[in-house]
Amino acid sequence: MSTKNKLKTKLRIKLGTKNEDTWCPGCPNHNILESTKRVLTKLIGKGYKQEDFAMVTGIGCHAKIFDYLNISGIYGLHGRVLPTALGIKLGNPNLTVLGFAGDGDTYAEGMAHFIHAGRYNANMTLVVHDNQSFSLTTGQSTPTSQQGYKNKAKPFGEFDKPLNPIKLALASGMSFIARCNARDVAHTERILEKAIRHKGFSFVEIIQDCLIFNLEANNKDGLMYKISDNKNKKKAEQLAEEWDYNNKHGRIPLGVIYQEKKKTLEEKWPQLAALSKTLRKRKISRKRKTEIK
Amino acid sequence: MRLNILIGGKAGQGINKVSEIVSMILIKQGYFVFNYRDYPSLIRGGHNFNILSVSEEKIGSYQSKLDGIVALDQKTIALHKNKLKKGGFVVDSKDFENLGRNLNLALAGALIKILGIDNKILMEEIKKEFNKKEALSAAEKGLASQKNIFNIKKQNNNNITLMTGSQGIAQGAINSRIDRYIAYPMTPATGVMHELAASQLKNDKTISHNNNKNIHQHNHQNNLLVFQAENEIAVVNAALGASFTGAKTIIGTSGGGFDLMCEGISLQGQSEIPLVIYLAARPGPGTGVPTYSSQADLNIALRGGHGEFPRIVIAPGDPLECIEKTNEAFYLSEKFNSLSVILSDKHLAESWFSSDRKPNKILNVKSSRNRKIPGKRIVKASSYEHDEMGYTTESAEIAAQKAKGRLLKYEKIQKECDKFEMIKIHGKKKSKNLIIGWGSTKTVILDAIKGLDYKFLQVLYLMPLSDKIREEMKKAKKIILIEENMTGQLGRIIREKTSLKIKHRILKYDGRTFSSDVLRDEILKVKNEYKK
Repeated sequence: MSTKNKLKTKLRIKLGTKNEDTWCPGCPNHNILESTKRVLTKLIGKGYKQEDFAMVTGIGCHAKIFDYLNISGIYGLHGRVLPTALGIKLGNPNLTVLGFAGDGDTYAEGMAHFIHAGRYNANMTLVVHDNQSFSLTTGQSTPTSQQGYKNKAKPFGEFDKPLNPIKLALASGMSFIARCNARDVAHTERILEKAIRHKGFSFVEIIQDCLIFNLEANNKDGLMYKISDNKNKKKAEQLAEEWDYNNKHGRIPLGVIYQEKKKTLEEKWPQLAALSKTLRKRKISRKRKTEIK
Repeated sequence: MRLNILIGGKAGQGINKVSEIVSMILIKQGYFVFNYRDYPSLIRGGHNFNILSVSEEKIGSYQSKLDGIVALDQKTIALHKNKLKKGGFVVDSKDFENLGRNLNLALAGALIKILGIDNKILMEEIKKEFNKKEALSAAEKGLASQKNIFNIKKQNNNNITLMTGSQGIAQGAINSRIDRYIAYPMTPATGVMHELAASQLKNDKTISHNNNKNIHQHNHQNNLLVFQAENEIAVVNAALGASFTGAKTIIGTSGGGFDLMCEGISLQGQSEIPLVIYLAARPGPGTGVPTYSSQADLNIALRGGHGEFPRIVIAPGDPLECIEKTNEAFYLSEKFNSLSVILSDKHLAESWFSSDRKPNKILNVKSSRNRKIPGKRIVKASSYEHDEMGYTTESAEIAAQKAKGRLLKYEKIQKECDKFEMIKIHGKKKSKNLIIGWGSTKTVILDAIKGLDYKFLQVLYLMPLSDKIREEMKKAKKIILIEENMTGQLGRIIREKTSLKIKHRILKYDGRTFSSDVLRDEILKVKNEYKK
C-alpha cells in the first residue's frame, strides 16, 4: 500500500464508528455514507479539520448516518434539520455544516424551513435522501411519492401528484442546487465536494431507491444522464422540468443544476463576520503556540 | 397622596408619549409612578389608554377611581367619565387645535400645570428631547390652558428609575452575557426582542467575565445577535443549534408560540443542550385576548414537552426581579445543561414600574465542567436516547440509567436553587393571615395590603418549589390564594407539593389586572367571611 493510500485508510477508520449498521442489506444509504466518507477524507486531506465539521440529521432511515459518521453533530427532530443547522451557523459560522434529511422530513414535516433556507443563504449543505417513501414508518407516501402509490395508509393509492423539489428550490432562491444518484458513489462524491465548497446554501437531492417500500419508484437509472455544471437560470428551469417525479418518462439530469453567487448569512450579519475572524485568529495563534512547543 | 390619571385616545395618537414625559418628570421630583397600558389588537384607531398612578410612597399598581382624565378623543371621556372622582379634572384635546403631532406635548403641559409642578422643569425636559419651536410653543399652550389643582412638591426620594418588565428581561440577559436571542414576533414577548435588537453591536464594557469555554467571549465585546426565524419551531431548534456551539442563547414567545416549541423543549431534555426560554403569557385559549394579561400559562411552562426531564421555572414579580431572575435562569441553565423558563405576562412586560432599589450583584454565568463544544473536539448531541458518546441506544439498561440521571440532575438543581430567593415574604412578617401569589400580581398585592394585618408569600420559583412554602402555610391561620387565572394553578401545584388545600381564592380571568383598591376590598371580604 502506498503512503497516500495508508493515510486515506487511516482517515477512513477515524471517520467510521463501531456502531452496528442497521440499514437494510443493499440499501443505497450505504452508498451515500461511502460518498460522504470519501469527500470528507478528501477535504480533511486538503486542510479541513475533522472537528470543524458538524452534521444535523432528521429522523428517518437517512438519519442513521449520524451513528456511522465520526463527526460532531445533532441528531435532531423529524423535519427540523434546517433550523438546527442554521442555529449552529449562527453560533459558530466557522463550522462546516452538513444537513442530512429525508424527503418526508424535508418536504412534509419541515417544508417551511426548506423555503426559507434559500432566503437566508447560510453557508451550509443540505443533503436530501429522496426515496419517495416514509420507509422507517413502513412505507407511507411522502410529497415526492408518485400518484397511485398504494400503501397501508392509502389503500386507494396516492391521489396527488408529487412535488418537484428542484423547481421549488429554484423558486426559493437557493444558490446551489444539484441532483445525484446514490448508486453512483464517485459522482455523488464530486457533487458533494462542490456543494460543501460552495459559499452559500447548497441543496443536493440524492435519488435513493428503497428496496422494501415503494418498489415501483425504483430503477430509474436508465433515465439518468450527467450534465455539466450549470449557472444559467433559464437552463436550470428547463432541467428541473425534465423529470416530474411521477413517472418514468423523460430524462433525469444529474449534476449541478444551478449555482450562483449570493451574499451569505455569515456575510450579511456583521456579528458573524467578526466572530468568524476572531475564531480564525485564535486558531492560528493556538497552532503557533503548539508549533513552538 | 395617591393620584390616578387616565390618558386615553386612539392608537397612534401618542398617549404613551404623554405618560412618558410626565412620568420622567415625576420620578425626578422624587415620586413613584406606575403606568398601566390597555390597548386592543390594532395599530391605528380603536381606544387605548394608560393609567398613570402617582405617589410619594412606593407603588406598583393603579386604582379604579380616577382623579383626572386626559382625553385625546371624545370616546375617552364617554367611556371613562363614570370612574372619575367627584371634582376630578378632564383635559380635552378639543381645546388644542392644529397642533398636529405636538398635541401630546400640549397635553403633557396641561397635566404638569394641574399637578402643580414648576413649568420650567417641563420646558427644560422638552428642550432636551425635541428643542423645536413648535414643540416648545405647544407645551406652553398646554401650561397656559389649565389651573393648578394639586401641589406636587419635590420629595426626598433619590435615584428612582422607570422600567418595564421587558427592559428588565433584556438587561438580565445582557448581564448574563448572552450571545443570541432568537424569536418570532408575538405579543407580549416582542418587547424583549425589540430591546435586545436595539442593543446589538454596542460595546458593553461594564461587565467582564473570564470564561474561556465560551468561544463568544472575545475582547468583552458585545457579540449579541438577534435573529427572527420563520416560526417558533425554527426558533427553538435554531436556539439548540446555536447553544450546541457554546453560544448563550435565549428565545422568547407567548403561549401559542410556546405550544409550537414543545417538541424542541423536549429535545432539550434529551440532548441536554442549555436553553433559556422567556414566556410572556396572555389570555387564551387559542388566540384569546392577545393584548391583555393572564397568569394562565403556568401549567404549560411547568409541563410543556413530552417525556420526563428536569427544568427550572422562575416567575419574577417586577422589572428588577426580571433582571435578577433572568441572570439566575442563565446561571442554572448553563451550570446544569438544562432548561430554564422565565415566566412573565403582558402586565409585567409592558407596564412601567418605578423603583429606587438597586438590582443584586450580577452572577457570573459559567458553562458546566462537562460541557463540550464542537470545533475543538467531536461532540454529539441527540434526540434519541444515547450513550456517553452520543450514539443511539435502545438498551433497557442505558435507558433506565439515563432516566435516573435526569432525575438526579433535578435533585442537584433543587439544591442549587436553595441559594437563591425562591420565595419572598412581604408585609407583616408575624401575621397569621397569609396571602400567596406569584408573578406580576406581586406589586398590586403589596399595594392592596398596605396597613392590613397580612403577610404576603411571593413564590418566585415555581419549579422547583420551595420547601418553605409548607412551613409558612403551617404557621398561618387564614390563607388566601391570589392569581390571574380561572383555576388557581399555583394553588394546585402547592397542593401537589404540600397536600394542603387553600380554601380562599381570589381569581381574576377577564384579561384585566387587579386594581389595588378593588383587590383590597376583596381581601377584606374574605376576612369578614372568617369572622362569620
